[in-house]
Amino acid sequence: MILFLQRCNKKNVTRCPRLRMPAVRFSLLILLLSLFSRTAIAQKPACECFVKGVVKDQHTGQPLIGATVLIVGQSTGVFTDQNGRYELRNLCPGNYTLECRIIGYSPFQQKIDLTSGHEENFNLLEQEVHLHDVEITAHRTDAPSSQPLTTISGADLDKTRGQTLGESLKGVTGVTTLQTGSSIAKPVIHGLHSNRVLIMNNGIRQEGQQWGSEHAPEIDPFIATRISVVKGAAGVRYGSDAIGGVILVEPEELPVDKPITGELNAVGFSNGRQGVLSGTVQGGLNFVKGFGWRAQGTIKRGGNIRTPNYYLDNTGISENNFSVAAGYRHKGLGIDVFYSRFDTQIGIFSGSHIGSVTDLLNVIKNGEPFVKSGFSYAINRPNQNATHELLKAETHYHFNDGNRLQWTIARQYNNRNEFDLHRPRNDSIAALNHPELTFKLTSLTNDVVWDHKPLAGKISGQVGVSTLYQYNLMSGRPLIPNFNQFNIGLFWIERYVTSKWELEAGLRYDYRTLKTYRIVNREKIADHFDFSNFSGTAGATRNFSERFSARVNVGTAWRAPNVSELFSDGVHHGAAAYEKGDATLQPEKALNSIASVKYATPKWSVEIGGYYNYIFDFIYLKPQPEPILTIRGAFPYFKYTQTDASFKGIDVSGSWEFVKRMTISSKLTYLRVYDERNEGYLVMIPPNRLDNALKYQLTDRGKWKDGFISIGNLLVAEQKRVPANSDFLPPPKAYSLWSLQAGATLKVSEKQQLEIGVNVQNLFNTVYRDYLNRFRYYADDMGRNASLRLKWKFGA
Amino acid sequence: MKMNRKLSWMLLATMTMAFVQCKDSGDDVEPDDENELITSVTLKFTEQGTSNVSTFSYKDADGDGGNAPTKFDTIALKPNTTYTLAIELLDESKSPVDDITKEVEEESDEHLFVYTSSPAALLTYTYGDKDKNNYPIGLTGSAKTGAAGHGTLKVQLRHQPGAKNGTPTPGSDDVNLDFHLKVQ
Repeated sequence: MILFLQRCNKKNVTRCPRLRMPAVRFSLLILLLSLFSRTAIAQKPACECFVKGVVKDQHTGQPLIGATVLIVGQSTGVFTDQNGRYELRNLCPGNYTLECRIIGYSPFQQKIDLTSGHEENFNLLEQEVHLHDVEITAHRTDAPSSQPLTTISGADLDKTRGQTLGESLKGVTGVTTLQTGSSIAKPVIHGLHSNRVLIMNNGIRQEGQQWGSEHAPEIDPFIATRISVVKGAAGVRYGSDAIGGVILVEPEELPVDKPITGELNAVGFSNGRQGVLSGTVQGGLNFVKGFGWRAQGTIKRGGNIRTPNYYLDNTGISENNFSVAAGYRHKGLGIDVFYSRFDTQIGIFSGSHIGSVTDLLNVIKNGEPFVKSGFSYAINRPNQNATHELLKAETHYHFNDGNRLQWTIARQYNNRNEFDLHRPRNDSIAALNHPELTFKLTSLTNDVVWDHKPLAGKISGQVGVSTLYQYNLMSGRPLIPNFNQFNIGLFWIERYVTSKWELEAGLRYDYRTLKTYRIVNREKIADHFDFSNFSGTAGATRNFSERFSARVNVGTAWRAPNVSELFSDGVHHGAAAYEKGDATLQPEKALNSIASVKYATPKWSVEIGGYYNYIFDFIYLKPQPEPILTIRGAFPYFKYTQTDASFKGIDVSGSWEFVKRMTISSKLTYLRVYDERNEGYLVMIPPNRLDNALKYQLTDRGKWKDGFISIGNLLVAEQKRVPANSDFLPPPKAYSLWSLQAGATLKVSEKQQLEIGVNVQNLFNTVYRDYLNRFRYYADDMGRNASLRLKWKFGA
Repeated sequence: MKMNRKLSWMLLATMTMAFVQCKDSGDDVEPDDENELITSVTLKFTEQGTSNVSTFSYKDADGDGGNAPTKFDTIALKPNTTYTLAIELLDESKSPVDDITKEVEEESDEHLFVYTSSPAALLTYTYGDKDKNNYPIGLTGSAKTGAAGHGTLKVQLRHQPGAKNGTPTPGSDDVNLDFHLKVQ
């Protein structure tokens, strides 16, 4: 928590716009001040204003030493002292943006108003008057500060409610999705996905069967109040797999000693007639000081999805998730326990099951699926159901001298069952209704991180050790072997922060040992692999002025080949391809350079980022000249092979309020990928896209606030850079989709508010197919989808 | 307060215990269990009016991939002759060998064999059996050869659960083999 107390020269006063100060000892002060604020006086302003306050960790309430507090755009900046206090003096009245930064926390900006205030002139005697106080919540974050970080939270996150995690991130520049139909979406950052994107779920590496392109992350986005995307290789802090980027799914801090609050979300979608209901209740305990808790749950039911011209058979979804959390704080000590369970059952479009290449070619020739269907909520074969459990315990201690130690342990259990379209022919086996594929993955992680106290008030840093132990049990149709895996990583990051500069550098070493077990010709075969790697990062952020900042980062990351790349051997029925692994594959390593500049004024802003991600020994499926003959005919043959690949791209985003209340915003995602060793292109690279929106902000009326109407257009180009003769169907044509959104908040009372949102996607029911939707061979993408979203917050 | 701290340390210790149960996945390797595997297809041509039987097979005992198919016969038939054609499917990766023909027969209302010769005049197939819905199956039938020539005979097993309508269109392939066909 950062508390700002600001005052202007004694006789000038504004009314307090926001009074949100939780600490009990301040409440009396607030009461007094709000009394005064109605009877204030204004005179000619002079440059005698000042802002002062204390910077605290929201988690523990401990003061933060060495945090930078600066006025954006001025050379004024100070550090907090031993008690976390700061003071900025001799400010002229006016509007300022105050920024607070400290290593390990998200930078926070807050607009403050030091004008001499209200038009009404009141006569007030010599009273010392408080202007307004602002409560700011500072979240701890480990994200590298010199890498682009985009966070979706608050109203922006609300707009995505009801969607899957992958879908919710679609609005971020540089992020797209890899889809299997409409219900399975995996995030793609700068053209990389699956095992090349790391997801940190509440601070824990999400460990599921990520290698599968139809295995979506098993996370309920309702758990999070912030979802952030770190773009580019971030291997030093996060370890293996963070080649394309990292997604941070973060819940809010536990409400220690706070009254009970909660929210209820209800979302209905017209397409699939899908309904989502999610609720959260949280608070402290009256009889135990320092205690906070939260309980949350989500239910989702959806039926067959409709494309503009037909329904897709068996595309329903059913999801039941819940999580509980509790925490205890006492002085520097904090303990948190968290448990979440995600349980989903997803129907897979039955028309996507093909037996042979002939089947696939017939569907492509037909132009639409042979399987016809109406609407139904029933989920039949083929389908997948996955449960993911996470149990986490975190404890940390702030030493009085500013050092901090954190220890986190977590256990994850991912149970995935996949049912093929055809049940076994043998009736007695079929009656058991066993899944054709079962994966049970247990992962245990252990992280110890030491944040050393700021040196000279400017250098801070952390060292840590992370371990991961996991074992996978597989049964059913042979696909991947059983394995045990152990990983240990040691890292060290240092940061130097001044008001103008922020420099950081870090180093990491990882060691991984993998043992696999599989049956070949009825005999158990064990294989053993050892991998190790050094990762490094170096970056700088420069704040030139209030409006202008730039950042640059060079980082590396690595990824060991996964078991599917090492041992695949069979027909991939979704792709009509015979895929074969290679046990001699080496880890792939990424060297990523990324730079961005940001210029922002109150009326307009633009951010331009460029990156060059060179991946050594990039693992991909290389088409082989000879097909493989099977009982279902000949299949094209692909082998996991390594090459060097370069990913070059530009992300541009900008917005401009060209008329009062009318804002136009644009986002451009441009990516070029090249196979450097074979001098060609690679498959499944997202095409370039341009996203435009025009938004009109409504004026507040009575109890209605923050109303808006916006219209958006998404242009997705045709992917023309594909290798020749590598696919059954050329990439789909470019498409353009329109969308419409509106929303507003109704302040029912001081403690209750209702948010309403309406959203229509694919407004004109456009027929299109997307290159990164694996169903593009079989069927069109989703048609018009209108949704209504209600959010009721109480006790806030 | 002291009590609370004691409690939280106890909680932490209990949690730690819960996390340290390790297991070796090697102890639990289960043998492969592919429900629908077919490893061999045998076509049995019996010349009508005689007891001359010729059989032609495709065999890939270890299923897709692994070792290459061990047998893929060329079908050799006499011109202008009518044969009774029976088909046999086996899963030889299991022991004892699994007779898939029987399973297809039991679920005949979900399966359809399709025999397509190319060029079409080389062989004409007529179904000799029907399922409970009066749709053809193709486990037995008759094959009439045309004039001498070379070509292929495509043998498909269409798996059509809940969608069988007598045409090959619904469903997906469980078998899709192009045998060389020599009529001489």
